[in-house]
Amino acid sequence: MKSGVSAIWRSKNKVLKTFQFLRKTGIIGLNERNVKYVSEFNPRRLHRLVNNKIETKALALRAHIPVPALLGTIESGRDIGNLAKIVEGATGFVIKPAQGAQGNGILVIDGPVAGGWRLANGRRITKDRIRFHVNNIMSGMYSLGGQPDIAMVEYRVNFDPLFDDVSFKGVPDIRIIVLKGFAVAAMVRLPTADSDGKANLHKGGVGVGVDLPTGITTTAMQYDRPIDLHPDTGQSLSGIQIPNWDDVLLMAARAYDVTGLGYLGVDVVLDRDKGPLLLELNARPGISIQIANGAGLRTNLEAIAKRQDDKVLTAEKRIALSKEMFSEAQPSDSRDGDAAPVEADPEDSPPVAGEPEPPEPQELEPNEPDSTQVESGPNQDTGKIALKG
Amino acid sequence: MGSSLRQSLLFAWVLAASGLLIIYTKIVQLDYPVFPDTERTIWDFETYLEFDANNEPARLEVFIPTAKNERNILEEEFYNGAFGLSLTTEEGLANRKAVWTHRFPDNKKVLRYRAQIVGENRRSDFGENARFERRGPIGPIADPVKRQALQVWQGRLNRLTADDRSYALMALSDLFAGQLSDEVQSLLPDLPEPVNRLALAAEVLSSQGIQARVANGVYLTEARRRAEIQHWLEYRADGRDFRYFVDDEPPSFFPIWYGTDRLVDARGVRGLDAQIALRSGSRLAQELAQQTGGSGQPSPLVNFGFQELPLTTQLVYKVLVTIPIGITLLVFLRQFVGISTLGTFMPVLIGISFRETALLNGIILFTVLVGLGLMMRVYLEKLQLLLVPRLAVVLIFIVICMSAITLLMNESNRSIGLSVSLFPMVILTMTIERMSIVWEEYSGTEALKQGAGSLVVASICYLVMTNNLVEHIMFTFPETLFILMAICLLMGRYTGLRLSEIWRFRHMAQQKQSA
Repeated sequence: MKSGVSAIWRSKNKVLKTFQFLRKTGIIGLNERNVKYVSEFNPRRLHRLVNNKIETKALALRAHIPVPALLGTIESGRDIGNLAKIVEGATGFVIKPAQGAQGNGILVIDGPVAGGWRLANGRRITKDRIRFHVNNIMSGMYSLGGQPDIAMVEYRVNFDPLFDDVSFKGVPDIRIIVLKGFAVAAMVRLPTADSDGKANLHKGGVGVGVDLPTGITTTAMQYDRPIDLHPDTGQSLSGIQIPNWDDVLLMAARAYDVTGLGYLGVDVVLDRDKGPLLLELNARPGISIQIANGAGLRTNLEAIAKRQDDKVLTAEKRIALSKEMFSEAQPSDSRDGDAAPVEADPEDSPPVAGEPEPPEPQELEPNEPDSTQVESGPNQDTGKIALKG
Repeated sequence: MGSSLRQSLLFAWVLAASGLLIIYTKIVQLDYPVFPDTERTIWDFETYLEFDANNEPARLEVFIPTAKNERNILEEEFYNGAFGLSLTTEEGLANRKAVWTHRFPDNKKVLRYRAQIVGENRRSDFGENARFERRGPIGPIADPVKRQALQVWQGRLNRLTADDRSYALMALSDLFAGQLSDEVQSLLPDLPEPVNRLALAAEVLSSQGIQARVANGVYLTEARRRAEIQHWLEYRADGRDFRYFVDDEPPSFFPIWYGTDRLVDARGVRGLDAQIALRSGSRLAQELAQQTGGSGQPSPLVNFGFQELPLTTQLVYKVLVTIPIGITLLVFLRQFVGISTLGTFMPVLIGISFRETALLNGIILFTVLVGLGLMMRVYLEKLQLLLVPRLAVVLIFIVICMSAITLLMNESNRSIGLSVSLFPMVILTMTIERMSIVWEEYSGTEALKQGAGSLVVASICYLVMTNNLVEHIMFTFPETLFILMAICLLMGRYTGLRLSEIWRFRHMAQQKQSA
């Protein structure tokens, strides 16, 4: 009895200590993200632009931001017959809901096989089953609030081989957090065997922090734990130079200009032939990027939030400024007067050797419901898609 | 940002302050009760008779609460079916009976008497004209052995006591404390326990000139579908009124009739099931406060309360005003603790339906229904139905399951079986759909985690919402809603970490701390 009480007491102290530490380190939680950034910088009426991927794509194209080409859309039962015509000549394609969330409802087709199509994971899928899937998409099974949706058919990206050594099948992508057009943090999301080819962090994907000025990967995490090596391939995750890094950052910065959304998660994929392509935008980007980078977001976010010059500076200038401001390998709190200095920067952190314990189930971020939307589901940092096997 | 924060804070403080001010006025100036007061609670009292009639003349005599004191019975109603009803008042004791009669009744019949009653407590007196006429079972004793025994016992009581009060206490202690002596044993009338001892006590007290009677009634302690009939002794000694309870004295009780007769005297019927149901209704204290509040100078606050509404509406609002408590709790659990649930307010709705099923039954029923629905949903997945028809199929399936459970349970336990129908089936259907999507898109563990999270939150909400004090406060002081609103406003501006996030970032913290 007594030991039980003291155990609770001890664990309470531990929780308090962790809480204080996280606060000092500038880790932000979902509450802070929602109150201080999402509701402050993302006017509700603009969410539409990123919730509907067709609109996002159109917007990006108008601003000459490269995106995976839209092959066609299926808007009603009658259009389903057009599917064959839409994908004619394509080796592979992707079907996804225009208003899907968290990468749900995405079907990646690798190529035709007898009697149907081959999925990215190698399995066969019948045309009937695809039709059923498209119907599900249109009836709103994957869309926010369940309203009717449109299925879009998209060019399937041919991945840059850069991450081949540190990916298990599936699709790596790059997530950049952008505040008022300034990049504040970045990470690469890599698929694993656990995540079934998707780069969703909550499904067991790996998140690798990226040094903003250089585009070189730093620390990494899986299931909220820091890791060093890719769990499937065993390759080191740090020190990978992302090509065309400046283009990637610029793309992210310009996403702010075209959408007007002040707080964005910008997802970029690297195509072997076409270079960086803007995959999608997220007005409620998750907070796991802090674990990947081994640093809290607050310092950087607050430094940018103070600035008033975002409207006058060009995207190029903002990126240059971001690189300069966050060049010290993101010392997480030394910029903030009231935060206690923390010695380690991410690269100096001692490696945690391949954790043998089973991975903890990850805390999901509950969806922050829109005021109009009663039902909600888990919503996290999402590597949207498995685009390819 | 600064201005929106300031505005939220200002709004919250204004709300909280006005709520507190009204509550303060009500308590201090108008004397509204802060705590629920069982002594002044109005109870819904129901005598329910169910029996098979067999085409022969039937006559049922049932004791109903005496109308001796209008203060104790507020409203009464009779449900007669096809029976004729007459009311009789017994000679001697102040008993009242409902007499239902019918010449050729058939099939199952139900008769009911309902009233709103206010309980008595140790301080309530019997009234000036209380009647104690003896209707004892002993009577003039013919049996010489018994007469001898009575004399021995009375002699002992007389010898050892000084006045009526101590006489009564000694007699009761002889009867109820420890082993009965032989002479007392031989005097016990042939009646069920504990009526036999109480009757004997009444008898021996009366023989000493102490007015006494056996009272039969109910204890007003909790709402019961089937309240037990309790018996106690009432006597007047040395000019004061006393009651003797066999067990611990209940805080509040209500006598229905006096004497040693049984509740129902039925002729010409079979399979009689008589039960008394009790439900605590509105609080009389509020009405009292209303009548006396401000003594003559009517306050606007007095006329602005739920007490003004018809009773049925009041009961609806009694449930309704506790919902915000559940919602506030839910906000706390989501924003501060970070429990993940299926749907935003679904746990609260489930919690409300637990009100009808009670907690354990509710959890079991919920789990069973959702489990069955999920199995159905898995099968439907194979059929490749469109979304809305599929939801409809699941919903119909749920209704079928509910009906089946009700019918099955009806055989064994009526109360659980009936309550299942009160589950909101649309909510159940949406829960199943959501859960199966989460199951597919994430994992079974995640789906179960969210399902369990919802159940935990629902249980907590249920326990808080049905808490007596919470119900009372919310109903008596609906101004608390302002305060709850203020709390939610403040929680809406909380930007700190959630407990679950501390857990989530713990590895990072550990690594960096040890660095």
